Amino acid sequence: MASTACFVIVSKNDIPIYEAEVGSAPKQKEDLAYQHQFILHAALDVVQDLAWTTNAMFLKSVDRFNDLVVSVYVTAGHTRFMLLHDSRSEDGIKSFFQEVHELYIKIFLNPLYLPGSRITSSHFDTKVRALARKYL
Amino acid sequence: MEPGLSIESGSAIRVAVLPVGGPIPPPRLREYASLVARHARVDLASLRTYYAEHQKSPFAHQPWETGCLRLKFVLGGCVPSPWEDFQSSRKVLAVIGICHLPSSSDLDRVAADFVDAARSYPSALANRCFAFCPTDAQLAGKKRDDIIMLPPSDQQSLELHMLTMIQDLAASLLMEFEKWVLRAESTGTILKTPLDSQSSLGSEEVIKAKKRRLGRAQKIIGDYCLLAGSPVDANAHYTTAIELARLTGDVFWHAGALEGSVCALVVDRMGQSDPVLEDEVKYRYYTIIQLYRRATLQDNAQRVSPVSFELEAALKLARYLCRRELAKEVSDLLMGAADGAKALIDASDRLILYIEIARLFGALGYKRKAAFFSRQVAQLYLQQDNAYAAMSAMQVLTMTTNAYHVQSRKTSKMNHDSFKEHRASNTDSGKVHPQSIVSLFESQWSTLQMVVLREILMSSIRAADPLSSWSAAARLLRSFYPLITPAGQSGLASSLANSADKLPTGTRCADPCLPFIRLHSFPLHPSQRDIVKRNPHKKEWWTGAGPSGPFIYTPFSKAGASGTSKQEVSWIVGEPVQVMVELANPCSFDLVVESIYLSVHSGNFDAFPVSVRLPPNTSKLVLLSGIPTQVGQILIPGCIVHCFGVITEHLFKEVDCLLLGAAQGLVLSDPFRCCGSSKFKSVNFPSISVVPPLPLLVANVVGGDGSILLYEGEIRDVLITLTNAGTVPVEEANIALSGKNQDSVISIAHSTWKSALPIKPGGEVTFAVTLKAWHLSSADLEADGNRSPANSRRIAREGINPFLDIHYAGPAANPENGHVSLPPGRRLVVPLNICVVQGMRLVRARLLSMEIPARFTQAHLRPVSDKDGISTGNDTEPTDTNLLKIDPYKGSWGLRLLELELFNPTDVVFDVDVAVNLDDTDVDQKVISEVNAADAACHKTRIDRDYSARVLIPLENFKLPVLDASFFVKESGSDEPLGSRAAAIAERNAKAELNASINNLISKIKVKWYSGRNSSGELNIKDAIQAALQASIMDILLPDPLTFSFKLALNRAVTNVDSSKDSGNLFSHSNDGNVAHTGNVLRCKDPISAHEMTHMEVQIRNNTKEIIRMNLSISCKDVAGQNCFDENSATVLWAGILSEIHLEVPPLQEVAHPFSMYFLVPGDYSLQASSVIIDATDVLRARAKAESPDEPILCRGSPFHIRVIGTA
Repeated sequence: MASTACFVIVSKNDIPIYEAEVGSAPKQKEDLAYQHQFILHAALDVVQDLAWTTNAMFLKSVDRFNDLVVSVYVTAGHTRFMLLHDSRSEDGIKSFFQEVHELYIKIFLNPLYLPGSRITSSHFDTKVRALARKYL
Repeated sequence: MEPGLSIESGSAIRVAVLPVGGPIPPPRLREYASLVARHARVDLASLRTYYAEHQKSPFAHQPWETGCLRLKFVLGGCVPSPWEDFQSSRKVLAVIGICHLPSSSDLDRVAADFVDAARSYPSALANRCFAFCPTDAQLAGKKRDDIIMLPPSDQQSLELHMLTMIQDLAASLLMEFEKWVLRAESTGTILKTPLDSQSSLGSEEVIKAKKRRLGRAQKIIGDYCLLAGSPVDANAHYTTAIELARLTGDVFWHAGALEGSVCALVVDRMGQSDPVLEDEVKYRYYTIIQLYRRATLQDNAQRVSPVSFELEAALKLARYLCRRELAKEVSDLLMGAADGAKALIDASDRLILYIEIARLFGALGYKRKAAFFSRQVAQLYLQQDNAYAAMSAMQVLTMTTNAYHVQSRKTSKMNHDSFKEHRASNTDSGKVHPQSIVSLFESQWSTLQMVVLREILMSSIRAADPLSSWSAAARLLRSFYPLITPAGQSGLASSLANSADKLPTGTRCADPCLPFIRLHSFPLHPSQRDIVKRNPHKKEWWTGAGPSGPFIYTPFSKAGASGTSKQEVSWIVGEPVQVMVELANPCSFDLVVESIYLSVHSGNFDAFPVSVRLPPNTSKLVLLSGIPTQVGQILIPGCIVHCFGVITEHLFKEVDCLLLGAAQGLVLSDPFRCCGSSKFKSVNFPSISVVPPLPLLVANVVGGDGSILLYEGEIRDVLITLTNAGTVPVEEANIALSGKNQDSVISIAHSTWKSALPIKPGGEVTFAVTLKAWHLSSADLEADGNRSPANSRRIAREGINPFLDIHYAGPAANPENGHVSLPPGRRLVVPLNICVVQGMRLVRARLLSMEIPARFTQAHLRPVSDKDGISTGNDTEPTDTNLLKIDPYKGSWGLRLLELELFNPTDVVFDVDVAVNLDDTDVDQKVISEVNAADAACHKTRIDRDYSARVLIPLENFKLPVLDASFFVKESGSDEPLGSRAAAIAERNAKAELNASINNLISKIKVKWYSGRNSSGELNIKDAIQAALQASIMDILLPDPLTFSFKLALNRAVTNVDSSKDSGNLFSHSNDGNVAHTGNVLRCKDPISAHEMTHMEVQIRNNTKEIIRMNLSISCKDVAGQNCFDENSATVLWAGILSEIHLEVPPLQEVAHPFSMYFLVPGDYSLQASSVIIDATDVLRARAKAESPDEPILCRGSPFHIRVIGTA
């Protein structure tokens, strides 16, 4: 498992609807967690261009800052799964994204879920963290 | 590293601009510097006049016609770089001093200062000192070579002057470059970089250095060629240098020469975008970067790393390529450069690197990337512990706010305006498209926004900028209060307060803080609600203006009016208006809003501030008011709030958007809902127009505006005062009724107010409205019964009251161009708050048919009947039962009384009056009786609270004058079924007539009551009476076929029937039609003396339309009931015929029968006439209710009482 990883789902309106620090490293300072999100936010610019150049959903690593790499997965509805990580196992990340995508679709199918709003399901959270342990 | 580098920057001559002499005021300095700096490009062609060729120029290919020198002015100078031998463009080649003479009078000192300052730039080839604003004395003084004075003049000539100076400077620089190049070519120079310094010891290195020297010299000559504006020459030298460096393995200088050659290439082809050129540049630069990297690796052991050159090269290329199409390549380059930041030892180098990266990303359109690196810059600044760094950090962070969507409203004003238009077009179409709402909340990454705002707050506090810190704290608190702990919220509140302390009072800030304000409603002032557009084509101008009819929607109403959902409100100049807003404080501290008032940009509105205190987590409704001052449109975008020491404007639209976002799940929380306020509903702000002053009527009900308490059926006059509180006279008015229970208003004194028109400002008119309370329904009474008896006074219920609709208008405006514009009229609705309480209650009404015995004994009666041999048809009982037997003779006189039982359930005393209006004469004759007595003097019946009383109304006087067959049509119809149509019509007519007469009868009876001093009314007893009389209405209405009356003839000559009335009224006479009888028993008013012959006559009137033949007999009875006309008794003597008188009475006429009597014994006597009708018609039979056709029909008159006085 990667020592540092930050997973964020960004809605098509560029609003983060799910955030999770999934790294195995001990709880970092708040500042660092913010820094991770700042990097992910900045990577949106690159994703925005890159997403239209390929028809693959998994965009691999699109951006980096220092040792941290941003991998992105774009769903058909232009929801972006963004993972900031320091490990290089691309296959694991791809599987992680695919599984999360399934979970996300389940959330999306919930008639009570307003598309584009924050995902507050604790079940989803647990599942995502389990997947992170499994693949990253 | 240096900021702002580009590929072309190798061709720029660096000029230090230094302020010398006394301190220069910053705006002055900025002005002077800009004056100098505008000449960054000096055309070679313009240098000709200043240029003197001393020797043959080394720049053989100098493009004198098209070329130029580029100057790069560095204000304040710079630290000499250790790398200036490597790249000549890093050298400061000229120094310009700027002096503001008013602040430094001593020219010598200025000159000395400038020399001192220039000394720190040994590489400078030319120095100039410019002195601005010299005094006349200084101008007049000895002309100095070292200081160039620019005499004060207008801007244009100053610019021209400066251009000349700069051109002169540039020319001298060019000549110096020539000199330098010639010298370098002949002698050669030692060129070293920090890379070489340490390794100069070894002999091997020395030999190597000698070899390299030539190449390096060629590179530097190339640099000077570039600076001199001759790229072709430069390129030639660079090519040589590249060859030599490659041969000598001088990697670093190889890269430098290559860089120079690219620069020469680019400068030479300036302004051409050529894909081939671009590829060439790209290719060469990647080589340069490679070479620099190799040099870095090679010299890894050394302390001085040339890594910055590699990064600079990458940045230069990125800047050159910086276009949207090449975004990927550029961002790769920049990310590579960013990775190099770790290798940079110097923090300021890293700062410059990040700044450059941020700028390039920004130029590329990658705003978020740019923001990210800007934030890195800010963090580097914040690591330095001084106020200037903090200020820079704050400014850099402020630039990032756009990307993070936390910008201050001040900076986003431009966007806001366009957005507003967008919104406006949206609202016009009726609803806001959800998509546009979503777009409002795009990219709201709350975690980052909070961090950025917090950093801005921190840096601005450190930079001692209270307004910025207030604004940042306000934004933080307003947008992210749900994510901040209560302690954090209080901390922010205190930092707001601290910042405000440092600000002057009355400071305005563009960013609103708390509370959240939304428009709640538009409570229309009653006077506002009543503005009615005048219809100029109608006399009744108010009709058609409002909704007419009971339907909310009518298809006939104007299409335009129903099409726009936006309502329009008219405000009137000078009349206060109110707007209800809702404030919410979702935070955990007490919020004190020092003042809040409506913000109006149109400037025609005076708003009144109020102050509010909001406890934690509460919302409050606040009524804001103001007065429009001028005619025009009013737009109220929001409120001005003075809170936390700063004045801010809160826009309603923003909160509306926020709430919409919350409803869509896009925003964290709805501030109003978390304060427990009701659900969000969007309130459309109506378009408000201010109209010129209108008259304003204020209605007052005299005696208080509370409800008018009336007992059921009470009639009262209510005085209403209309006062014109406006500034314009009321010229026309109209009062109409509306609402429910309109019939309770009996009359309105229209003439009173009409005569008062026009009502001048301040004038008033009082008019009366007569009200009659309606009757409570049984449901009301039940509801009343449920109340406690103590609280029997009812609260007036809504919606049951009538209204006075007063439409009024001022004068028409002055005719303009022959067209009279009508200002709108107004409507004043005066509710007549009638509260009806239960008054006297009619318990029961019933008809009493009774007989007054008239003191006849039973024994006396019998012989009469016996003698007549009549078997009473109706009476099944024998006639001797008792005196009160009802109607012993059919069709004869009988007394019918209507008994009303009244109950007083109220707590006041009622007086009851019964009035009987006979026919049309309106003569009220009070025939009221108390419970038992029949004293005409006592009119009123007083009924105490909780007592009941009975009122008797005699029904004798309602008889119709004629007994007509038509009343029996129905019966006759049933007897002989005619079936003809005419009969049916006749029957119907008759019935209608009958009903009319019944109604007439009922309406004649009025029961009035009085209570207290001014309560009076009428009891509604119609239905009760009708029910009571239903059964025997015929008996009441129909007259007897014959009426009898006795008359005392004063002497025999008097026989005139009518004279009795005129001549002394000795007797009251009955059944006269117009005059009711005062008692039930007729009596002779004056007593008759005994032992005297009394002449009398009996008058018989035929009430039918046919001749009646009959046998009349007259009887006289004494108090004991003995028949006095008996042969046996000797109390009365008589003359004339008294029995079996055969008479024939023509229809509707009277016949008199005279007789005389002589009373022997004084006492009371009764006379009575009775007759048996011979050959009675069907009508008479029907009237007498005879059962068999053979039955004799008997008529009897009322007894006539005679009092005989005298001595026996």
